Amino acid sequence: MSDGSSSSSSSSSSSNTDSPTATAAPNITIAPTGVTTSETPPPPSSQTQSSIRSLSSIISSVPSSLSSSPNPSFSLLHDSTISSQISSLLRHPDSGSGDNNLCRWLYDTFHTTDPELQLVVLRFIPIIAGVYLSRISRRKALAGFEAILLALYAHETTARGDQPMTVHVPDLSQPSIYHEAKPSIENKATELNLAVTSSTLEPHGTMRSTRRARIVGVALELYYSKISQMPVTSKIEFCEFCEIWAGQDRENFKDGEEDHGENNGSNEMHKVKKKEGRIPLPWELLQPTLRILGHCLLGPHGSKDLFDAASSAINSLYTRSLHDIDAKAILATSSLLRLEKMALDPKANIDYSEIEMANVISL
Amino acid sequence: MAEDDSQSQELATVRELCANGVCMRTTDVEAKLDEGNIHEAESSLREGLSLNFEEARALLGRLEYQRGNVEGALRVFDGIDLQAAIQRLQPSVNENSNSSSFSSYSSSISSHKKGRANRDSQTAVSQHAASLVLEGVYLKAKSLQKLGRFTEAAQDCTNVLDAVGRIFPQGIPGVQVENRLQETVSQAVELLPELWKQAGNYQEAMSAYRRGLLHLWNLDNDCCARIQKAFAVFLLYSGLEAGPPSLGAQVDGAYVPKNNLEEAILLLMVLVQKIHQGIIQWDPSVMDHLTYALSLCSQTPVLSKQLEELKPGVVQRIDRWNTLALCCSAAGQNKYALNLLRKSLHKHERPDDLTALLLAAKICSEDSHLAADGVGYAQRAINNAQGVDGHLKGVGFRMLGLCLRQLAKIAFKDTERSHLQSEALLFLDAAIFFEQDNADIIFELGVQHAEQRNLNAALHYAKKYIDVTGGSVLKGWRLLALVLSAQHRFSEAAVVTDAALDETAKWEQGPLLRLKAKLEISQSRPMDAIETYRYLLALVQAQRKSFGPMRIDSQVGDDKVNEFEVWHGLANLYSSLSHWKDVEICLRKAREMKQYSAKLLQTEGVMCQERGEIQEAMSAYINAILLEPSYAPCKVLISAMLSKMGSNSVPVARTLLSDALRIEPTNHKAWYYLGMIQKDDGRLTEAIESLQAAYILEESDPVESFRSLL
Repeated sequence: MSDGSSSSSSSSSSSNTDSPTATAAPNITIAPTGVTTSETPPPPSSQTQSSIRSLSSIISSVPSSLSSSPNPSFSLLHDSTISSQISSLLRHPDSGSGDNNLCRWLYDTFHTTDPELQLVVLRFIPIIAGVYLSRISRRKALAGFEAILLALYAHETTARGDQPMTVHVPDLSQPSIYHEAKPSIENKATELNLAVTSSTLEPHGTMRSTRRARIVGVALELYYSKISQMPVTSKIEFCEFCEIWAGQDRENFKDGEEDHGENNGSNEMHKVKKKEGRIPLPWELLQPTLRILGHCLLGPHGSKDLFDAASSAINSLYTRSLHDIDAKAILATSSLLRLEKMALDPKANIDYSEIEMANVISL
Repeated sequence: MAEDDSQSQELATVRELCANGVCMRTTDVEAKLDEGNIHEAESSLREGLSLNFEEARALLGRLEYQRGNVEGALRVFDGIDLQAAIQRLQPSVNENSNSSSFSSYSSSISSHKKGRANRDSQTAVSQHAASLVLEGVYLKAKSLQKLGRFTEAAQDCTNVLDAVGRIFPQGIPGVQVENRLQETVSQAVELLPELWKQAGNYQEAMSAYRRGLLHLWNLDNDCCARIQKAFAVFLLYSGLEAGPPSLGAQVDGAYVPKNNLEEAILLLMVLVQKIHQGIIQWDPSVMDHLTYALSLCSQTPVLSKQLEELKPGVVQRIDRWNTLALCCSAAGQNKYALNLLRKSLHKHERPDDLTALLLAAKICSEDSHLAADGVGYAQRAINNAQGVDGHLKGVGFRMLGLCLRQLAKIAFKDTERSHLQSEALLFLDAAIFFEQDNADIIFELGVQHAEQRNLNAALHYAKKYIDVTGGSVLKGWRLLALVLSAQHRFSEAAVVTDAALDETAKWEQGPLLRLKAKLEISQSRPMDAIETYRYLLALVQAQRKSFGPMRIDSQVGDDKVNEFEVWHGLANLYSSLSHWKDVEICLRKAREMKQYSAKLLQTEGVMCQERGEIQEAMSAYINAILLEPSYAPCKVLISAMLSKMGSNSVPVARTLLSDALRIEPTNHKAWYYLGMIQKDDGRLTEAIESLQAAYILEESDPVESFRSLL
């Protein structure tokens, strides 16, 4: 497991050089055209171009429009043909091993200094984390996935320094910018409840199994911090994996219980299939998951598909939290479910910015 | 329904325009507008109602807007130079001596209050004209919004607010402001962030919200609360970290949130406070957002406080009890949680609530003195898990099994205990039938089998647990190692422990290293064990240095390297090697952490006994029992000493032993001494049984109690 990260880092250059493909050559000539228009961002960096070139050796078709786009990293992030190809490769039963080309590409791409390119890697975190965690119990070689997750973890460890992420819960007896209060004379030092939302990160060079949930959780925290820039499909993929992780499906279980006489084979099969990916959901994994799902449900993205995917995921996690009798998770998921219902209720969504429509219009 | 329709149709079709005391039907004007003849429509209005150009246009625009013809409205509004009109409305800056600087007006509440008294009357005169123009701009923004041109709309909306800011550089005075103007201002403040959100410009939306809430717009309570809630929701769910409000917005001494989550929580708590104070209506969604936010931060006690402060009747009391119970339980205050659940599960309240029943059963399953109640809750849960909730039946069975296991611990009779234990196993088996992959049940089955010394079954579940969790849970590794040690497969147990150490970060290795030392002792490698303990002590010291209060890791909790345990273990080890000086040193160190401890007195007693100091040994053991009346090992040790002292002491010894066995039925030494006493009494059959039990238990004794896993 431990050599996964080192091997994939060292092999980056080789995978670039030994794959000169047909699409790679014209990229270079087209690139300068992006510079001519004055409004476009600076010319696509060579990092992006070389990233796209090495990607073209891994997936079957890279649209030529990609390199000619004024902002190739952005196009790479949002190109649906590319992401669907990468997604299906990541979901392939043999994906994720230490010598997997795609994992190497993602690892190397994350290690470029271009934050736009790093977003492309983050875009696939739902699938990487999802497939990875669901496969753990099958004892497969997953060093490729682990290398990527550890790279993200290391990035966050450096970025946060020795600081935990905290939240002060205010004491309303003290005034704040949003409310007035007479400061009490007794305790001048404001009594704030300090909540640690993400504890200090220890450096981890390898994926120790007892730290796995934390490492993946931190990768999800990083994903969440960029979530407003993520494509909707990426978020929907995350919601789908949450359902698999929860391993709960009320309807199916009810079916399974009814026909104990195993006269309905397909139903049983479905039940088994649904439940396969159930994983332990400690708080360090569940907390960032719920933050992401909160965004997917109630964030300002305006996508009905995402809303539906999120509400279905939250439903599953609510059921799971009942099975685990996890009070904190029950509180968080049930409040989201109530909010979901309110979001769908037209009575709760009056537009107060509309003017009064009277039949007498006066000055 | 039909009546409503016709009424609304009437509303929509028959309109009148009124100004300067004259009213006119809009039919003519509308016809002209429909022909695209704005100028004619305008002039007929100017004539009919004696209006100036801007007034006529503003009325026309509103008419078009109300007719749903937003494009037409836009054309009308485009004809007025709104910017110029706005500029005309502005009072010259010199007029107002208080407006020393443009940036300070927004925040300085106190200077606003001073300034209110000498508001000039000129502004009041111009207010009507201002309201007309600003309403026009606002409607233009609304029209653009309806056409999907959000950025332009936001720009117009910003223009409204900028203009208001210039007209009232001190903020809008609470009195003397014209209703219609105030309405437009409030609507614009509320609309602007929505427009930026729709335009996809979240950063601007964020500042629009702050501008709306931190400047003095004289918003009414409901409007302000709506904006606060919308902003809190945006902060909570947008996923955009925008940074804290700018320094310009800060008032002296006031709390300023430092990140989105903090700001959202502050706003929601302010809203809840307003609900408490009766300033705004109860809004369940505010509480739900707050519940979500606070549970994510694990601050459920704060949430309980908020819930408790709600007036009775706002939330249904059973719902409140149940939510409070969840809050308490999440914060580890299970006693309070159970008290609340007892109320809500009372037969006159909501006795069939599954979540409450399961939570109550779970809390009871953790305490043997509550376990009997837990059995009842679990059974009720099983009975009520019907229909759509059928999937929770397995959870009920699991809780029933766990409660029965707790009950077995305090069972008085041997037969009762073994009955309860096998029942517990039965229900855990039933539970796993419902959820094959539930790691928790797998673990509990492993421990239950191990405690009953079904070591092969225990081994099966221990391995399965590691598979299902991918080795991610420390106690799984410990269970496997302990089961192997109980099977006397010490070297395999050591391999498992080493593997577990590889999978564990430094600070969580304490319990594993302790286990490793004990395994080394069992393998007769005391010197290695001493090395391991030394390493453990080094770890303790390093931990003490680097652990700040911030380091809260999920798995550490109770597993944190416990220095007391280390010294005590080392003392026992030296005692077994008869290194009395070292034992004394270790005991002294351990006493520094915990002065009164039955365990330490036991070690001390054993040392005295070995040195032949019988009186001292005896008093140490007795002190241990006085300190901790249910401490079985010392009872056994006293009995052993007593049984050697002659026949007078034998009855006492026998009582102590049966007492010890009630507490620890698997204590093989207790069975041994009991067997010996029975042998001396000539009760050979009983003696054989006891000694057999002692032998079997010793053969299957783990290096650490299985109970230490729970």
